[in-house]
Formats: sequence, C-alpha cells, structure tokens
Amino acid sequence: MNPFLDTPQTSPGLWALAWRRLRADRMAMVALAVVAWFLLTLLLSAAGFIAKDWDAEIGVNYAPPTFMGAQSAEERGVQGMHAAEVATPDNPRDPLRDIIRQLRAEREGGANPALVQFDDYGIADPLAAEIAEIRAAQGQRNTTAAIEKRATLPLGADKWGHDIIQKTIKGSETSIVVGLTAALLATVLGTLFGAVAGYYGKWVDDCFNWFYSVFTSVPYLLLILAVAAVLQQKGVLTIVLILGLTGWTGVFRLIRAEYIKHKNREYVLAADAIGASDLRKMFIHIFPNISHVSLVQMSILTVAFIKSEVILSFLGFGVPVGMASWGSMLNEAQNELILGKWWQLAAASAAMAVLVTAFSLFTDALRDALDPKLK
Amino acid sequence: MAVESKPLLSVHDLRVNFRLDKHDKNSGFAAVKGVSFEIPENSTVALVGESGSGKSVTALAILGLLPPENATVLPGSQILYGGRNLLELPKSALRSLRGKDISMIFQEPMSSLNPVFTVGYQIAEVLRLHMDLTPRQAQTRVVELLNEVGIPDPAAKSIAYPFQLSGGQQQRVMIAMAIACNPRLLIADEPTTALDVTIQKQILELLAALQDKHRMSVLFITHDLAVVGEIADHVVVMRDGEIRERGTNEAVFSNPHDTYTCALLQCRPPLDSRPRRLAVIEDFMDGNCPAPETEVSKRGLSGSEPVILEVRNLGKSFYTREGLFGNREFKAAHGVSFKLPRGKTLGVVGESGSGKTTVGLTLMRLHEATTGEALFEGRDLFLMSKAEFKNYKRRIQIVFQNPYASLNPRFTVGQILSEPLLIHGIGGSDAKRTRLVNELLEHVGLPQVSYHKYPHEFSGGQRQRIAIARCLTMKPDILICDESVSALDVSVQAQVLNLLQDLQDEFSLSYIFISHDLAVVKYMSDQVLVMNQGEVVEYANSDEIYLRPQHPYTQRLLNAIPKAGERIRGKISAN
Amino acid sequence: MTAYILRRLWQMLPTLLGVVVLVFLLFNWVGGDPAYILAGKMSNPEQIANIRKQLGVDEPYWVQMWIFIKQIVTGDFGASWSTGETVKNVLETRLGPSMTVLIPLTILETLIAIGLALGVAYVRGSLTDRMVMIACTVGMSISILVYIIVFQYWLAYKLGLFPVQGWGDSLSENLFHYALLPILIALAVGIAPNLRLFRTFFLDEINQDYVRTGRAKGLSEPRILWVHVLRNASIPIVTHVMANLPSLLIGAFLIERFFSIPGIGREVILAVERSDFPVIKAITVYVAAATMLFNLLADLIYKAIDPRVQLK
Repeated sequence: MNPFLDTPQTSPGLWALAWRRLRADRMAMVALAVVAWFLLTLLLSAAGFIAKDWDAEIGVNYAPPTFMGAQSAEERGVQGMHAAEVATPDNPRDPLRDIIRQLRAEREGGANPALVQFDDYGIADPLAAEIAEIRAAQGQRNTTAAIEKRATLPLGADKWGHDIIQKTIKGSETSIVVGLTAALLATVLGTLFGAVAGYYGKWVDDCFNWFYSVFTSVPYLLLILAVAAVLQQKGVLTIVLILGLTGWTGVFRLIRAEYIKHKNREYVLAADAIGASDLRKMFIHIFPNISHVSLVQMSILTVAFIKSEVILSFLGFGVPVGMASWGSMLNEAQNELILGKWWQLAAASAAMAVLVTAFSLFTDALRDALDPKLK
Repeated sequence: MAVESKPLLSVHDLRVNFRLDKHDKNSGFAAVKGVSFEIPENSTVALVGESGSGKSVTALAILGLLPPENATVLPGSQILYGGRNLLELPKSALRSLRGKDISMIFQEPMSSLNPVFTVGYQIAEVLRLHMDLTPRQAQTRVVELLNEVGIPDPAAKSIAYPFQLSGGQQQRVMIAMAIACNPRLLIADEPTTALDVTIQKQILELLAALQDKHRMSVLFITHDLAVVGEIADHVVVMRDGEIRERGTNEAVFSNPHDTYTCALLQCRPPLDSRPRRLAVIEDFMDGNCPAPETEVSKRGLSGSEPVILEVRNLGKSFYTREGLFGNREFKAAHGVSFKLPRGKTLGVVGESGSGKTTVGLTLMRLHEATTGEALFEGRDLFLMSKAEFKNYKRRIQIVFQNPYASLNPRFTVGQILSEPLLIHGIGGSDAKRTRLVNELLEHVGLPQVSYHKYPHEFSGGQRQRIAIARCLTMKPDILICDESVSALDVSVQAQVLNLLQDLQDEFSLSYIFISHDLAVVKYMSDQVLVMNQGEVVEYANSDEIYLRPQHPYTQRLLNAIPKAGERIRGKISAN
Repeated sequence: MTAYILRRLWQMLPTLLGVVVLVFLLFNWVGGDPAYILAGKMSNPEQIANIRKQLGVDEPYWVQMWIFIKQIVTGDFGASWSTGETVKNVLETRLGPSMTVLIPLTILETLIAIGLALGVAYVRGSLTDRMVMIACTVGMSISILVYIIVFQYWLAYKLGLFPVQGWGDSLSENLFHYALLPILIALAVGIAPNLRLFRTFFLDEINQDYVRTGRAKGLSEPRILWVHVLRNASIPIVTHVMANLPSLLIGAFLIERFFSIPGIGREVILAVERSDFPVIKAITVYVAAATMLFNLLADLIYKAIDPRVQLK
C-alpha cells in the first residue's frame, strides 16, 4: 500500500503562487482594497441600497460643503433662481437639439401628426410621458422636502441641489460599469481573434491582420467619434459597444504574438505528438499559459475605457442626459468653476483619480506577480 | 608548465547570498558559502561545477558585477588583488581595474556585444578609456588585436556589426576586447558552452596561446571537466556553493580524493569503452570511489535485424521572401536515408545547423517533409491522412531537449501523463488511468506524490523523466530523443541515459538519438549518422565511425572532442 | 530599398481599401439616409435632393462606393453640410494651427520624457524611482479634462498669465502667445505615460548582457546609459513616437476645443456635433492614409538606427 495515495498532496498552481506574491506586495493590497471598496459601492448602488435618490433635490442650489458653512442666496449667486427655473440643464450644447430640430422638421412636414404630442417647447417630445412621470415624482418629493432644503451638505450640492456624494456614487457606478463591460468585451474579442490568427497562421492570420491594420490605421479616438457621430441614440449599451468593438486591437496584437510564440514551444509540440486536437492545443494547453496577458490587458483597458467614457460623456456623446457619470459631472463642473463652485469638480475628479490610481497600481502589481520570468 | 609564485589574486571566505524575488524576504539562499582559492601569476585556474554550484557568482563577485538588487556579499569576505580588497574598493577605483587589469568574457558572445555598434568601435572604446589612445591609434590597434585573435581580414571586420559575424568570431572579438589592455587576469565564464565542438577547440587553443604569450592568468569557469583537462594548471571543483576539491590538473584527474570529483569524472560516457551502466552520483554517496563498471555492452548491427522504420531521401526546405517577388529556398535537410532496426538505436550527430533536429521533427510530422518517404511497417507516414496518422502517432514518440519548456507549466504531472491516455482512449476509467500513471511514475523512478505536483517543482532531470513517462503512456515502438540530455548536468545526464537504456532493454524500444555530443551518441548508439549542413556525410556502425572515420568532417569532429587530462598547452609546447 | 518601399506601398492598398469600406459601411449603411440629418440643417428641399443625388443615395451600394472612392482620389468631398465650406478648404486651413501646437509639443515631450526616463532608470529600484513612478500613475489617473479645466481657470482666467483662448493670424503670435498654455497642459498630461514607457524600454536594455560587458570593460555608468543603452532603446522610442504622430493630430482635440484653436481635432468634434458627415469621412480616410505612411516612415528610420534590420 502506498500511504500517499490516500492523502493526495496538492501543490500550489501558478495562480496560487502569483496570489502569494501579490499578497506580499503591500501597495498592491492597499490598491486592491480601494478597488474592492469601489466595487462594493457599485454593487450597493446598483442594487438600490444607496444613492437611490441621488436626483432628489435635498439641498439648496449650490449648497456649499458643510465645512464652509452656509451661504446666502446672493453669495451662492442664485438670487432669483428657484428650482423650477433651473430644471432644464444649461448645457453649452443641448444633446437633444438635433433630434428636436429633426422632429420639428417632421412636424412641419406633416409626418404623423396624430402620433406626436407637443410639449411646452411646442415641439414633439418623445420623452414627454417619461418627463411627466419624473416631474410628478419630483413634485411628490418636493411636497415633503421642499420646506426644509438644507443649506449645506457634507460635500455640497450642484445647481439643482442634488447631493454631490450620492451623485458621485451614482456617477462612479455608470463609469465603472461602462469601463468594465467594455473592457470585458474588447478582451474577449481580442483574445479570441488573436488565438485563432496566431495559432492557425497562414491565410487565417492574413485575414485577421488585415482586419487589425484597418482598425489601427484609424486613430482610436477618431474611430470612436465617427461611430458616435453615426449612432444617434445614446445609452450605456451603445457606448459599451463603441468602446468594446473598437478597443480589441491591442489585446489582439499581444495575444496573437503569444500564440505564435507558444505554438512552437516544445510543450505544444509534445501535445501535438500525443495527438491532441487543434482546439485542445489552443485552449487547454496554450490558453492557460497566456491568460495572464489577457487579464492584465483587461485591467489596462478598464482604466483606458473609464477615461474614454468620461471624455465622451463630457462631450455629450456618451451616456444620455439625466444619467450621472463622471464625464457629465465634469461637464457641469466646468461652468460651475467660473462661479467659484468647485466642489462637484473636486468630487468627480477625486473619485476618478483614486479609483484609476488604485486600479493602475494593482495592474502593475498584477503584472509583476504574473511575470513568467519568475516562474 | 607555469612557474608558480605569489598569488595574483586570492579569494578568502567569499560568501554571497541571493534573493530570487524582491517581494519575498524568505526567498534568499546562500549561493556561495565561504569559498577560498588563489590564482597564481601566469597560470590557468579552472573553476568547475554543475549548475547552481556558485561558480559564476564567484567570478562575477571578483569584478563587482553581481546584480546589486538581489545579491549581497556578506561581510568578512575578501578578494585580494595587489594588496587591496576588491570588495571594499570605491566604485571608481574598481572601474579603473575592470577591463585593464582584470577583464572578462562571457558565455553568450552574441548578446554580450552591443548589437548596434561595430565591433571595432567596441574594442576601441576600451583602448580609449584605459590607454588614452587617439581614435586613429585605437583603430590601428583594433586591427592588430583582431588579427591576433585570428579573425580573417581584420580591417574589414572591424567595421562589421556583431550580427554579421559567426558565433566563434564573436567570441574572438570578445577576447580581443578583453586582452586589449594586456590584463593580468582574464576571467572566462563558460566561454565555449554556447559554441559547437569544433569551434570550442579553436577558442580553447586561442586562449591557451594568448595566456602563454601575454603571461597573464586565466580564471576559466566551466561545467565541463573534460574541457578543464585541456587547459587548466589548477582545478577547483565546486558544488552547492562550496569547494569540494582543489589541486593541480594532474592531481585532480589522476588521483581525485573527493567523491564528487570522482563522480563527475565517471558520469561522462567514456569514448574508448562502453560500460553497461554509467556511474551515477548515488554510487559515490557512501564516500568511496568505486572502480569504473567493467561489464561492457555490445553495440552495432550485423545487418540481419528486422527493420521497423526505413527513411528514403528525406528532405525539408524552408522558404524566405526576397526582393519584390522572389523566394529563396533553404535546404534544412536533404537526401537523408537510413534504416532503423527494432530494438536498436540510431544516433544522429551534427553541429548546430546540421539539420539533425529537422529530421526528427519531420518524422513526427511536426514539420511537413518536402521530399522523401518514411516507411513504417511498409507504409509511408508522409502520405497518410491526418486521421490515419493519429494511430501511428502514438507508436512514434519524441522527447525534446529542454525539460523546462516541454512540460505545460499549468498542468500537474498527473494531468500531463493522463492526457495521452484520454486522447487515445487508453485505460477506460479514470481510476484505471490513475493507476497506469502511477505505475509509469514508478517505472521512471519518480515518487507517486509527484502526481499532484506541477512541473516547476521538479529538477531538470526529473522533468525529463516525466517527459519520457509521457511518451511511454502510449507504448511507442520508436522514441526520438532530440538532444534529450543536452541541457542536463553531467551527473543527471548519466541517470537519464541509464534510464533510457533500461527502458530499451525492457520494452525493446527503437531509439533515434539526436545529439551534438559525440561521446553520448557513441555510448548510446548501434549505428551513427553524421550530418553536416543538411547532408549525411557518414553512416555506419558506431564503433566503426569512432575507430575509422572516413569523412574528413567526421575526423574533424572526433578530433575536437576534449579529452580529460590531455592538455592543449602540452601539445603547443611540444610542437 | 526601393523594392521594399514599393512593396510596402503596394501592401497598403488592401488596408486602405478596408478603411474605405469601413467608413463607407459606417456612414452610408449604418448612418442611413442623410436626408434625416440634412432636414435639420437645411430648409431648402432642393439642396437636400442635390446632396442625395451627389452621394447616389438611391443608387445601388456599389455605385455609392464608387462615388466615395472617386471623392477620395480627387480629394473633392464636396461641401460641409453645416457651413457650406468645401471640405478641401476645411482640411487645408485646419492643418496649420494643429501643427503649430503639435510639432513643438512632440519634440519637447519626447526629449523631456527621454531625459527623465534615463534619470529614473539610472536610480532604478531606489525610493526616487518608486516615488516618480507613483507620481506618474497618479498624474495619469486624473482626467485630461480636469487638467484643462483647472489650468485654464487658474493660470489664464484667475492669474491672467496666458490668454484664456483664441488664435491669431501670425505664426509667432500663435506660437508664443496662444499656443503656450495648450502646449504646457499637453506636456503635463503627455510626459507621464511616455516617461513610464521609455523607462521600461531602458530597463529592458539595462538587463541585457552587453551592459554587463560594458561594466566589465570599466565603462562608467553614465556612459553605459547615454551611449550604449540609449542607442539601443532609441529604436523602440523612435518607432513609438513616429507611429503615434497621426493619432496625436486627433488626440489634441480637447485642447483645441477648450482653447478655440481652429485645428483638425476641434474640427472633428464640431463635425461630430453637427453630424457633418463629409468632413468626418474625409478626415478619417486621410488620417488613416497618413498613419500608414508614418508607419512606413517609422520602419525606414528603424532600419537607419538598427543595423540588424534587413528590409526585405
């Protein structure tokens, strides 16, 4: 009898070893904790436990952060303003303008007059029903909260009196969800294409390479903007698709190179020699050896996509109006800064900087921990 | 023989600790544990040891070239040169010694030279730094130096880039750079390991001649005791960071008193006899030097053995693009024919670029053959469809050179060995497969706990055993060993060779044994195929080839094998 | 050499064709009938009918494609849908301002990043190295928008050190007056990622065997870095900088927008906001062509500094 047979002694795999290395890196663990904290907040807000009523106007307009003390209406520069008047956002560019014009033209052209409803602007508003609903809800809230709007909030309020903390939490949710899902999509596409192209080589590789060079000839941002120009409807799904479908090229290049390198490694030749099929070699033998490249790339892409989302939403090509995101917050903050209302800018920038810094530091540590040189 | 006087350099109680991982404070280990030796004036000292013995660390410590981020020299260590301790010298003082008093050459001449500067520039750089020569003087001196190290057409070669030179020429350039300022000591860290055996001989002769001419000392670091025998006056044998034996060349080779030295000397297959079994390190564990095994195995063919594989006119060409539309053909192998009898071994020997590996890969259809046929039981392997070939695949298996690359690092040993069983539907149930795998592990001499471990937990020799076991799962008829023992230390090499021998006897396997190492090929083979630049130059019974080589290339190859204890310098002075 | 360039140019054709097809699919197929967009811009139905005819909207797709290819080859994309300015004129007049910002920016950015990266590589592993790297990471984590908004507000609006925005007619006025703050901000944003990248290039080289040879020869550490390592690392650096030039042209769009610099980048944003398809199409295709040419140029420079590369 062999005593070892009954107690199989398991050994740490390479992932376990990498995790061990990562755990020894104190900065990586701090960064991981910060990222985890953001993700937890995201889950809670997505599930509706926190920041559910971020769009409730609980403070006075431009209520300053608590530590600055309350300000009079004159100091806040909102004299003569009251909530109802500010209800339409004062965007430098109304993202709905084109649609409104188009609809107006359709109305003049007499298209389907029966179907359209006209709002205060005197134009057809497809969102009229929803807006009415929102207003009703707001009215309801206002009846309870309007009397006691707070003069200060922990981190201040925006133009409408929304709590900046809740708005930032909601904004983080949007930005991180967009960043993560788009990165996942891009990584899956890039990995799959790269694996097929690198493994099969020859004409398959030529095809994918052609595809790759077409996509990389157009600078990334230009491509995104061109797609944004064509797709008029905005939404989280649209922006995820735009980022994901244009962002796979970097992953593709790396994964393809890895597959080319690995397919002639001796362990793959050995797998060939024992009669393993192509799919088996590609995904059971090679993939686990290069999966860390995909992981690190996905981590890098998440950061890049969060940054891109912020810029797109800032320009009005990103998430729809009425949805909080770091980009749309920065857009509002840009005008507020001239008035000296810096807190929304500070909150959005700080939230983004902290998350992205932590994510980047973690990515660096992850790359070090998975470095095959240390095998 | 050099006249001995007071030592040029002496190392006292050198201790170096290494850390593998900057994050892990416990990953440190002692690489050198209190080493002391002396290098006399005008003599060659060889530092011999297998991988992990600390020989290279010792050499790098002399010039202060250890990587500071993970190596620490412990206090109390001393390296005395000219009355000063090199380890305590200020950086600038040490720098003025480097390249001038003490210079160094390395294992990989290609990567040791800066790829984007001409070799002339790189040699002139030392001259201008230490000898204050003008660019013009330096240029003249560069040509002289290149001439001295035996580079043809030195003026033209001085404006060549490293990649335009052959490996041997690159090492000559490194040597020219090292002797440019007439150093007192030249440290040569495995200078011939990356080179073919014929080139190795030339470089060794060059080093011996230069040592004599410049009256300098040489510290020669190598893993190969046979090379040492040719060049060294004094030998220092290291193992695991400690010195095991120290003495003159004659003393160490003719009368070793350390068991490890004994083992090293006997683990190498000898050229003049063929013991039934090679001595392995365990034989020496009890502390005495047993006499070499006397039982001799017979090799060679009579011609009447049943043939299992017949290869006719095998050829493989690669094509590279050239010009606008052109294709250039490169014949990696052509016109290769041989017969492999059942249960016998065919050795294929040749230097790098000879096409020997191509032959192995083509037979496995890991490369498509360009021409020729391979008849296995009368059927041509190259003409079979992929599906048909799958059944034959399990009957021909291959063991690769690099045991670190040939096992998938993400698989446990159990997974590695069960996979072929699974693919070919051998064994039936999981439990049965596990049993088969455990039997095999035992067969190749690995404990059963290995089943759940990953390859990185094993040493090179153990990994090669796993690779062999993987082939055996399919009960092949033919095993192709492609440089399978070349990456292993001598003592481990002997164990694996013995294992291969036992397996052949037990399963009557036929081997195609591919190697650059003539001694190993001769030991293992019945017949030998000598290849050079893609062609077969000689094909005969192995003893025949070693006793009466016909082709001039084979003769050159045989001449180049270093013979332990027989010194080049002796020959030079005799001539 | 000539054979190489010819073959590379020849190989560009399929890629360029791919870009053309991509842009065509995007605008003529996904984008749908331009009449919907034009309706918001022009009140004259004849004008709209004219543009639809010009694009061949009612013709089969291959005819529309052919029209598009003809536009690319002749450079005649017609007029902007919003301003009526010819697309050709738009491209020609917007390139100058972009270059006024980009050329000094690229040169400064590359040189500063190389200098800093070499410095950091020299003290690699030290506390300074770690601090600089963390500072870079933090710096890169702050959105470029924040840099622009804060710097513009603080340095120009509050302190009045620079003009808040604007653009003049003379090159020197633009370069030394209007472009200063934009360049400064772009440097603040651009140096950190380049510094990190170049540092890895240097560290890759520092771990090579030839550096050890240099030390064994007795060379000083600065000489090893400035001569041996820099020469080798300049190969990936030059390739990186060259290949990124065309995308910089677009990448500067935020700066151009905030400072009202009439460059290509701002034109792209305006065109996207206005759904001005002809302008976007023209810029996309030409920038793609420029990218390919710059890649070729990068390879040729690569050849010039790396003797090992044989162009085949």
